[in-house]
Amino acid sequence: MELAVDLKRSLSNECTSLSLSALVWQDVLAQAMTGELVAAMNFTALSEICDHPAEVADALEHAQNEKGHAAAFAAEGRKIGVEVPSNVEAKHWKRIREAFQRRITERDFIGCLIVQEIMLESFAVASYARVGKVAAGSLGKTFASIAAEEEEHIGHAMAILRAERALDAQRFDDKLYRLHLEVMTILAEMLARDCSRGHCEVCHDSCVKPSLSEICLTTAELRGASLQQYLKTLDMLGLPGEVTLVWVTQLPV
Amino acid sequence: MGDSVASVDSPGRTTDVDFALVGHQESWRAAADVLGVLRGPERTPLPDDEIRDILPWIPPRAVCHVDVGSIAGAKARGLYIDSFISPDRLEADYIRENIARVRAAAACAIRAGAKIVSLGGFSSILIEGNFDQLPERHETVFTTGNTLTVGFIVQGIEKMCALEGRDLRRSTLLIVGATGDVGSGCARCLAPLVRRVLLSARNVDRLRRLAAELEADGVEVEVATPLQQFSAQADIVICAASLASPSLLLGRIAPDAIVCDAGYPKNLSPNAEIPGARVFFGGLGQITGGLRFTPDFHGVLNRHPFPDVVQGCLLEGMALALERRFEPFSQGRGFITQERVDEIEAIAARHGIRLAPLYNADGPLWPAQATIGSALGSRESASISSTDFTG
Ligand SMILES: NC(=O)c1ccc[n+]([C@@H]2O[C@H](COP(=O)([O-])OP(=O)(O)OC[C@H]3O[C@@H](n4cnc5c(N)ncnc54)[C@H](OP(=O)(O)O)[C@@H]3O)[C@@H](O)[C@H]2O)c1
Ligand SMILES: [Fe+2]
Repeated sequence: MELAVDLKRSLSNECTSLSLSALVWQDVLAQAMTGELVAAMNFTALSEICDHPAEVADALEHAQNEKGHAAAFAAEGRKIGVEVPSNVEAKHWKRIREAFQRRITERDFIGCLIVQEIMLESFAVASYARVGKVAAGSLGKTFASIAAEEEEHIGHAMAILRAERALDAQRFDDKLYRLHLEVMTILAEMLARDCSRGHCEVCHDSCVKPSLSEICLTTAELRGASLQQYLKTLDMLGLPGEVTLVWVTQLPV
Repeated sequence: MGDSVASVDSPGRTTDVDFALVGHQESWRAAADVLGVLRGPERTPLPDDEIRDILPWIPPRAVCHVDVGSIAGAKARGLYIDSFISPDRLEADYIRENIARVRAAAACAIRAGAKIVSLGGFSSILIEGNFDQLPERHETVFTTGNTLTVGFIVQGIEKMCALEGRDLRRSTLLIVGATGDVGSGCARCLAPLVRRVLLSARNVDRLRRLAAELEADGVEVEVATPLQQFSAQADIVICAASLASPSLLLGRIAPDAIVCDAGYPKNLSPNAEIPGARVFFGGLGQITGGLRFTPDFHGVLNRHPFPDVVQGCLLEGMALALERRFEPFSQGRGFITQERVDEIEAIAARHGIRLAPLYNADGPLWPAQATIGSALGSRESASISSTDFTG
């Protein structure tokens, strides 16, 4: 963090668009890296409640992948001359980890998959894909390829969740709705136009959201794309579209 | 938490879907109202800029359940599926995106197992020729609903003439958008009843072909692309052009002309200077056997001054569902004939679906009609509401 502030001071003299956008990129990368580290922690925790050795191995492999993604984001930061911080204790991310941890405590494997693979991954896949479109060079390629990787590994979880829903759709949907209220509310607050709960504790200075236009992005677009991905994922699970539409329209803005 | 709406216990779990209606919201106000109902009264309303930000991202999906009743006792269950085409993206620039949206809405209807899908006017224009890439259709059939639309436009013209004391047989009829599915259907039905027919659209070849078809039946026909050429000669005008916004000026028309605006979006520009003209919105019908939405969109989807008024194209699917005739009644373009109009009107009438009271942007054309409308509304239970789906 210290370094980032210093960097801002020294770069402000040059005031080139590149140097200005490097600071925006630093925050974007910090959010992405934090998300990856949270995902890695979630998968590690998940491995501890898996019954079958194959599932344990799978969860640990996912955790490793997510750590790899975090490292890739850090490396991209270095390429543009910024150190990418992360903070898994930051307020929104901490609440998300706590929500996931509650499922672990309940040994609720399906609940864990819903939170990580449906909610957090919808958010990651959609926003990385948008970022991948506007970022130049290897930075853009890294975001786009991680988005594609995340999307690919959702497939396995989707098969498990579909099978679970087939057993008792009503029970599954009710559970999903409870988790939606708990987790999607936090994600919606993270992506809201204004930070009603104060500083996010990940961005290095003031919130990056109003500055996203410098890198041809908007919060509205990231929020819209994430919610679209989430709705489409729920559609693929077979939830009634008219019901999930109500859920999404009731999220905080 | 508004669980009655949000929870999955809602009657969203029906397996029997007789019909689906595909449309979109035509104005930001209408879109805001729809999202407002879904969000629930206990939450702060979504700010307008938030609605503009979010709406374009919503994938096409069902918005509410629709129950329709027949005066003959039949009932049908359906879904209203919104393609969530943004009100400011109706122009040609967005055609690919909009086709994809209508296709996805059609796919929702198929997945829901709808037996018949009625497409709103705008949707049917987009999906025509784009029926590929839909999921396997099983039992689902599609209708543009344009035959019943034509029926109600023609009935509206006849009613206006009767009320205004005009003789249809001495009239000169101008159709704008004459070569379209709706326009050509109106031409075939009305040409034998009027003295002279004037056809207008942009493509002259298509106009000539239609004129030749009508002339073969002994009708006096003229065609023109620039409207000014003969708008002054018309005393009855049907506007059925597919325009992205109300931009039709119409030029000089006879001072007391009867003008039916059947477009969605409306054709007539608010700047059209047609003093003295009797304008009405055509192609609309009214359900008299009961209509209910879940969740309750009463007064929200209804933007007509009368209860239970719906566009003819959507009513066609509902009428066919009540009749248990799940067939693609209106398909393709340019095949609407008087016989087919008679057939669908008879089906609709059997179930109490009839011409809606006439109105325009200023409200009902005759106050007496408003009384008839509200009497009808009060006959139904409070939960029976009205609609205005935009195609
Ligand atoms: N009231 C209802 O219930 C209802 C139901 C269905 C449809 N509609 C509405 O009726 C309208 C026509 O629908 P449709 O299915 O018949 O469409 P269509 O088959 O695509 O025909 C459109 C017609 O408009 C003409 N046109 C297009 N742009 C024009 C312009 N700028 N100036 C003059 N003419 C123009 C076209 O000919 P050229 O391309 O040669 O100009 C064609 O004749 C649409 O607005 C639709 O939403 C209403
Ligand atoms: Fe990841």
